[in-house]
Amino acid sequence: MKSRVDDFKYNISETFELPKDIVLDLPKIIMIGDLELHISNHKGIIEYTQETLRINSNIGILKVEGTNLELKTILSEEIIVTGNIEKIEIIS
Amino acid sequence: MEIIKTWNYLRGYVIIKVEGLTLERFLNLAAAKDIYLWDIKRINHTLLEMKVSTKGFRALKEVVRKVGCRVEVLDKKGIPFLLYRLKNRKMLGFGVLIFFSIIIILSSFIWSIEIVGNETYSNEVIMELLADENIKSGIIKYNIDKNYIRSILLNELDCLSFVSVDIKGTRLIITIYEQDIPPEKLDINTPCHIVASKKGVITKAIVKNGKTMVRKGDVVKKGQILISGIIVDENTEDNILVHAEGEVLAKTRYFYRVDEPLMKVVEEETGEKMEIHEIKFGKKGIQFFKEDIPYEHYVKNTKEIKPFSGRFNLPFKLFVYEYMEVERKEVKQNIEFLKKSSYIKAIEELNKQIPKEAEIQFKDVIYDVKNGILSTYVVVEVVEDIGQKQIINME
Repeated sequence: MKSRVDDFKYNISETFELPKDIVLDLPKIIMIGDLELHISNHKGIIEYTQETLRINSNIGILKVEGTNLELKTILSEEIIVTGNIEKIEIIS
Repeated sequence: MEIIKTWNYLRGYVIIKVEGLTLERFLNLAAAKDIYLWDIKRINHTLLEMKVSTKGFRALKEVVRKVGCRVEVLDKKGIPFLLYRLKNRKMLGFGVLIFFSIIIILSSFIWSIEIVGNETYSNEVIMELLADENIKSGIIKYNIDKNYIRSILLNELDCLSFVSVDIKGTRLIITIYEQDIPPEKLDINTPCHIVASKKGVITKAIVKNGKTMVRKGDVVKKGQILISGIIVDENTEDNILVHAEGEVLAKTRYFYRVDEPLMKVVEEETGEKMEIHEIKFGKKGIQFFKEDIPYEHYVKNTKEIKPFSGRFNLPFKLFVYEYMEVERKEVKQNIEFLKKSSYIKAIEELNKQIPKEAEIQFKDVIYDVKNGILSTYVVVEVVEDIGQKQIINME
């Protein structure tokens, strides 16, 4: 937790059981096996090749590695990645 | 996901190739502008392939200018493009139009009339009646007034209790329910005799009108006059004809014989069977033979297969013939059991013959074994009304 405000928000979401990705404005990453990856609340793509995908977000850069990566959809709030996903890294 | 794909296909989309150095920026800008991109594939370092809707493609132009990349359309897909291509092939569209209109036109005629449930009136009579009202195969089905047809049939034909007219596809189905006609009754003023309907011994004669011709204990033949409708006037000695009425009870006999061989051939299934399939078009059929039936004795079973559980009228019928091999064995039957079963069988047969009002007086069973055959005679004596009215012929 970086600041007091974030601390406060965290506590609120804990006590009221509110989803933290909305309260704290964090990316939500859903993975379906190693086939599909949904990233909502992203801040744009930094790099995209068939092997690596780097996505900017509030907690840093999400680095996805794999083979045959494909961007199934890109919307301002959600990215869906398909392919053979091998690794996810958060570089903050 | 399939729904989105179908939606995109309906709206039309293009497959484009984007060439440039800062392609990530291109994607980000497109996302920020709410341009929906999907199935993005990296071909190589400077090349992306993606799909975009036709509307999105127009909006992309601004992004392309900002980023400074090159866009090439690889393929156009979807209904709008298909229609665009059809514009140049007018005859094809015309053909499709003709095809559908022919189907619609042909299905708006009545091609066959089916009549169900008629017993007293033949199909031809009803067809003729309908033809007089200009209802025959080949008319347009939208012009048919079902109520009118119903009223015509109910008016023209007697003894109908219900008529339903239904149009199913190109068939006109007329369902008829006939009334049960009551038996004809003789008019009370018509002079008649009462004659014996079968032979018997008279036990009682109750005369309401007419002159008794028989007495108790008389043996009568079939057709003999029991109560005469001709009375002689005492004064003028003229014959007066009356409507004879009365009950004549007589003892009658019913007998039935059942023959059952003591040795019985029993067919036992061996479990071996084979099937032959047949397709029938109308009366002609094609059978799919495997080989000749290899069994010496067999039982044949015919089954009709109805695809779609018989909901559609198919132009062909499917049959399966099952041949089950049986073995014949001679078995000696239990004589007591056989006696009982044939007695029951005989009684059942007699019950069908004896009228309900008859009163059973006497019952006898005789068993006889001859040449390996058990004969069972059952004799029943009953008392019943044997009177039957017969109109006097004036000659």
